[in-house]
Amino acid sequence: MQDIFSSLFEMTAFGTISYQTVIMWLIAFVLLYLGIKKKYEPLLLVPIGFGVLVANFPGAEMGIVDASNIDLGDGRYKNLFEIAHEYGILNFLYYSLIKTGFLPPIIFMGVGALTDFGPMLRNLRLAFFGAAAQIGIFTVLIAAILLGFDLNEAASLGIIGGADGPTAIYTTIKLAPHLLGPIAIAAYSYMALVPVIIPLIAKMLISKKEFTINMREMDKKFPPKHKIKNLKTVKIIFPIALGTVVAIFVPSSVPLLGMLLFGNLIKEIGTSTSRLADAATGPIMNTATIFLGLTVGATMTSEVFLTSKTLGIIAGGFIAFALSVAGGILAVKGYNLFASKKINPLIGATGLSAVPMASRVANEMALKYNPANHILQYCMASNISGVIGSAVAAGVLISLV
Amino acid sequence: MELLFLLLAKALDFGFTVAIVGFGIVLTALTLLFIVFSRLPKIINLKFKKKKGITEADKNVKEADAHIEGNVTAAVSLAMHLYFNELHDEESNILTIKQVRKAYSPWSSKIYSVTQNWPKN
Repeated sequence: MQDIFSSLFEMTAFGTISYQTVIMWLIAFVLLYLGIKKKYEPLLLVPIGFGVLVANFPGAEMGIVDASNIDLGDGRYKNLFEIAHEYGILNFLYYSLIKTGFLPPIIFMGVGALTDFGPMLRNLRLAFFGAAAQIGIFTVLIAAILLGFDLNEAASLGIIGGADGPTAIYTTIKLAPHLLGPIAIAAYSYMALVPVIIPLIAKMLISKKEFTINMREMDKKFPPKHKIKNLKTVKIIFPIALGTVVAIFVPSSVPLLGMLLFGNLIKEIGTSTSRLADAATGPIMNTATIFLGLTVGATMTSEVFLTSKTLGIIAGGFIAFALSVAGGILAVKGYNLFASKKINPLIGATGLSAVPMASRVANEMALKYNPANHILQYCMASNISGVIGSAVAAGVLISLV
Repeated sequence: MELLFLLLAKALDFGFTVAIVGFGIVLTALTLLFIVFSRLPKIINLKFKKKKGITEADKNVKEADAHIEGNVTAAVSLAMHLYFNELHDEESNILTIKQVRKAYSPWSSKIYSVTQNWPKN
């Protein structure tokens, strides 16, 4: 009788639940709550949250195992069939789709097909602030080394400041795959917190007078020298030309940028390739998002997540984010010192990626100070160049570190 | 190469180098982008001119049309939206059958009906 009960007990998971497991469940519940109820990036936080939950069911053994288990030595690895057989379906997905660096570029293709480079081409000047806002990445890289992270980890931590989910994940896969879970969570959480972070930093650095700089009036006073005619043609040439230019400079950013620009090209060509663009933005991107979210969530087993490094990543990620916003704002302020055609510093704040939320937030802030001051179009210019900037920065980090 | 490694022996030094070089590359890439695309319209326009041999009048029209500001587009689309909404004027939602008084018509006149002409017993 007792034997039956003890074997029944062993069949259930009661014996193996530890306090770490419970903590991970709570984290999963918080992520699910934020995604479902608070609607913070629900498309990502819900799969990630559920991935965390699934990975931490004791006995189910769905959590992603360390890469050392896959390594057979001599540069050889277990094949996918063996991985699926020994470690289950989520490990199969992780090692085939994430570890190979497959999904982030696929998502970038969808992002490209959803992006309109028009605002940036109309206000090319503003593209520089997309570069300035990458300062957070590099500052945190140095700070993280000082704090005792190794170079690869520090670079992955810094890339959170690029405010670009797929870029952060791609860089981390390449440089420090053991930190993938916490970094993805930090990146997406802070992107969801853009409506809080941007106003916080902006109010600290921008004066009331600067908030009310009206971009349209400035454009009227100082009309732009370069007017783009044949915008449609330029938009088609843009991805091809940009891809070529960047590929020569930073070849390692091509997997991300190349896919982004390919997505954009099939969108801009118009009706003749619209079916491809529809597939890239719809079915392919949605499928990719599901697998990315679930597997990234599943990397967060208690042994990996509940360490002091996670706390460092969450704090460091915030600093990277805040510094990127501040970098953009300060770059605009510096520019305004010398130029007669002033730029609203809020446009610098949108230089970090997080398209289009950062622009919407900045636009709302500008409207608060002057209800007639719509800066959305201008914000989108630096916002989109921020995407390019962070992808280039990721490429630089991957090849240099 | 060995010298480089010696110089960059410390992770922190290497970090600084990566940071400075990396940021420089990001800036350069975007500057290059700016240069290419601020020149690009001129190149494209040149080609188009050669092909078509646009007359002076055409050119004026094109220049005026080329740049439409966002707020103009917004105003036009709002106006069109209002206009198309107006086309279908507001009707009352109450549907009833009205009795229609028609003018006299011999087609339905009782005088010509069959029964009228039957002999009365």
